[in-house]
Amino acid sequence: MKIFISLETGILRSVKSWKGIVIVWLCSLLLVSLVAIPMKGALKSGLGNSMITEKLANGINVEVFADLGTAFRSLFSYFSTGLFMVLFVGFLINSFLSGGLFDSLKGISGTFSPVKFFIASAKNFWSFVIISLIISLAVILLAILIVVIPVSIVSHAESSSEGAALKTGIILTSFFLLILVLLLLVADYTRAWQVSHDKNECFKALGFGFSQTFRTFFSSYPLMLILLVVQLLYGWLVLIVLPGIKPVTEGGIVLLFILSQFLFFIKILLKVWRYGSVTKMMELHFERLNRGV
Amino acid sequence: MKKFVIIIIAGMLYMIPGRSQIINKEPLSIRQTGYKIDAKLDPLTKTVTGTMEAFWVNKSADIVPDIQLHLYMNAFRNKKTTMYKESAGLLNSKDQNSGWIDVKSFTDRNGSDFTRVMNFISPDDGNPFDQTVLKALLPKPALPGDTVFINMVFETRLPSITRRTGYSDDFYFVAQWFPKFGVYESAGMRYATKGAWNCHQFHANSEFFSNHSVYNVKITVPKEYVVGTGGMLIAESDSDAEGKNKTLTYRAEDIVDFAWTAWPGYAVFTDKWQHIKITLLLPKDRIEQVERQFTAVKHAMEYYAKYVGPYPWPYLTIVDPPAKGARAGGMEYTTLFTSSSSYLVPAFIHFPEMVTIHEFGHAYFMGILASNEFEEPWLDEGVNSFWEERIVDHYYGENSGLINHPFLKIADKSLGRLSYVHSEGRQDVTNNEYSWNYPHRTYGMMSYDKTATWLYTLMGIIGEETTNEVFREYYKKWAFKHPSGKDFVNVVNEVVTRIHGDKFGPDMNWFFNQTLYGNGLCDYKVTNIYNKKLETLKENLSDSDSINKNLLSMDRQYKSVVELERAGEVMLPVEVLVHFKNGDELLESWDGKSRFKDFSYTGNREIEWVKIDPEFKIRMDVNYINNSMTLNPDRVPLRRLTNKLISFMQFFINFISL
Repeated sequence: MKIFISLETGILRSVKSWKGIVIVWLCSLLLVSLVAIPMKGALKSGLGNSMITEKLANGINVEVFADLGTAFRSLFSYFSTGLFMVLFVGFLINSFLSGGLFDSLKGISGTFSPVKFFIASAKNFWSFVIISLIISLAVILLAILIVVIPVSIVSHAESSSEGAALKTGIILTSFFLLILVLLLLVADYTRAWQVSHDKNECFKALGFGFSQTFRTFFSSYPLMLILLVVQLLYGWLVLIVLPGIKPVTEGGIVLLFILSQFLFFIKILLKVWRYGSVTKMMELHFERLNRGV
Repeated sequence: MKKFVIIIIAGMLYMIPGRSQIINKEPLSIRQTGYKIDAKLDPLTKTVTGTMEAFWVNKSADIVPDIQLHLYMNAFRNKKTTMYKESAGLLNSKDQNSGWIDVKSFTDRNGSDFTRVMNFISPDDGNPFDQTVLKALLPKPALPGDTVFINMVFETRLPSITRRTGYSDDFYFVAQWFPKFGVYESAGMRYATKGAWNCHQFHANSEFFSNHSVYNVKITVPKEYVVGTGGMLIAESDSDAEGKNKTLTYRAEDIVDFAWTAWPGYAVFTDKWQHIKITLLLPKDRIEQVERQFTAVKHAMEYYAKYVGPYPWPYLTIVDPPAKGARAGGMEYTTLFTSSSSYLVPAFIHFPEMVTIHEFGHAYFMGILASNEFEEPWLDEGVNSFWEERIVDHYYGENSGLINHPFLKIADKSLGRLSYVHSEGRQDVTNNEYSWNYPHRTYGMMSYDKTATWLYTLMGIIGEETTNEVFREYYKKWAFKHPSGKDFVNVVNEVVTRIHGDKFGPDMNWFFNQTLYGNGLCDYKVTNIYNKKLETLKENLSDSDSINKNLLSMDRQYKSVVELERAGEVMLPVEVLVHFKNGDELLESWDGKSRFKDFSYTGNREIEWVKIDPEFKIRMDVNYINNSMTLNPDRVPLRRLTNKLISFMQFFINFISL
């Protein structure tokens, strides 16, 4: 029952915070455009007035890109640097904005206010950076320990059969994903707790995140599992739909842009739904404690 | 009595390998050499011990004082061999165990001992530490028509797997394992001006050159081992009373090398294409690759039979080595070749098929048309790569032969072209070079990719059907012989002039001089398009003159010009497609000889775009981008790409952030 209440409240609160989602979407668009638009310019200048773009009608054509020669090398290096920059800045911006988002998803938040949103973002920024950093490092470390190292050992063992590495990889990755669900719960509880407290106590918040995750394991875990499955299915759907669309007119390009941004907007909404649901789950637990149950 | 006669005849057939027929009704080659080998694999010491009876027939008009044999396995004997020196640290020496071949005894048929008159020679580089070529003086010189018989006992220590030979754990790929005759070239054969042995050392970048031979090979291995060879299985028996070992007897005819593999983990599958039995050995875990391998090889068989010539043996063995023996993958021994797949390769990636098709192709360009890979690697690897690219793209997608995924499509021929046109060493050397003389790791790019690219270009000029006819003729004329590069060029000249007359000149040497024997670049470019409005009737009229409006529009005159440039050194004829704004199109021809070329038109139509080589026939062109120009560039594909890049980055960041 708690799960459904949390899911329902989560979606309602996330819809209520749509302005926050718009802010996140806009920041994301601006950030990636900083890399993508100059790249387009560089590509345009590399191709000049050539008709070779006909070969791009069906997507990426390796011959066209390779024939760009030195321009391609610069383009590639710009892309790698740009991607790194976007990832780094994206990490900081996400840490910043999720503070505002979590704050707006609290039960006592009332109507969404952009000013309040940014105040909460700024207030929780450093805590959220540290929390995100620690959880991200934990995810990477666990992935190495649980998947990478054992699979490498199996694949290099002379006595093991050929499929063994793949089978081991599949089993261990599944196991890792189950643990990942726990880590995401910890991250969300931690941040939900942090925004509900005035002081920036990220380590205390982390402690709460862990204890809350395991205290409410039987309700929290299925809740997060449902939310992640929905997100994964949605991601898979996007992956099927978007690459297949190849407009050939300017109007088509505009429609593709609108569609892809709409799909991305929904993706953010689904994530905010997760934040909202976990926040509600935490509130339900507190209510229960307050009632002395 | 009749039974006795049959036994005697069968015995004679086995004893005199070169003179008998078991596999094909008629000999396919002149069989200048033949081998009868009895070999035993010892898995504990990783050695193959063997006795060998072999012969060489002096088919020349020369009196030959000696014989020369390859002892390839000695390339792995020490770190000072020519192969090691040329590898320049590319071989992984840490986990590399040595390999060698020791000649224990060496006599002629009369028992004369050769060991006292034999010595190692290094005809290519004089390296005193290289023992890959053995020379032995004959007790008496071989006269024209004489047959030299030799008996040898040898021991081959297999190296840990490298250069497609050796062992890995209990996996064995036994190649270049027995003493093999060099090729005696008499004057007039290939480039020989006088008779001499052509017996090169084992180099880092080269493969082989041998006579077509008959092989009778007995292999003894532990009973649990599954064996695959380039021969046809004739008999199988237990080789000891305890039944621990088995002996397999194989026969191969008219092939240039005999290799075999043994591993207990193989699963064996068979299939047929026409009358040819195909046997596939691969790890038991890799069963899902079986159908892909068979399909690929059958595609290749069909294509070659149609456009080059028949595969003349009734059997073929494909070996797909396990991961631990992956370094044995991608090698050819005419009737046996190794492919290179792995567990669960996705269906959209056709690399395993590409390797299978490539290695099968060597049955033609190396096996049947036994060119000298030491001296003209392009004639085997390059020609074979050209056919591999054609076959892969024909059966798996003209634009997606290698990778066919909604996100990314790559044609096999694209990868080949890019490897050449964007290589920094593309002008370091020509194709006309001995394999070990290619500098700065250009061997692969030059012998495989540049050749395939200029062959595609040749096909673009003379046409696909003429190209097929060239190869049919090449096969017909040179099958089971030793063609050289000039023989191939002669066939091209003959076929092209027969079909096209003097359309391309008296011969095609102008093409080969620039591509095969030259190192220039090919680059055609459009430098400019302009439409200059000319003075019209209207401009000469006064305001009071009355004139029909239609007549005025007809009267609008332009001088429209396209300016072209040959930016590279290579001069090839190209087509130029000129498109006008009113939809008219003109296909012009340019012989490509002058540095600059203008096409100029006067009339009431304006040029909208121009394309040099609109069908991309000249695949040697190092830059396709400058081959065309338009006054109205289509930016939609760029905008679409940017759009998708933005979405990709947005989703990616969202996915990885908490």
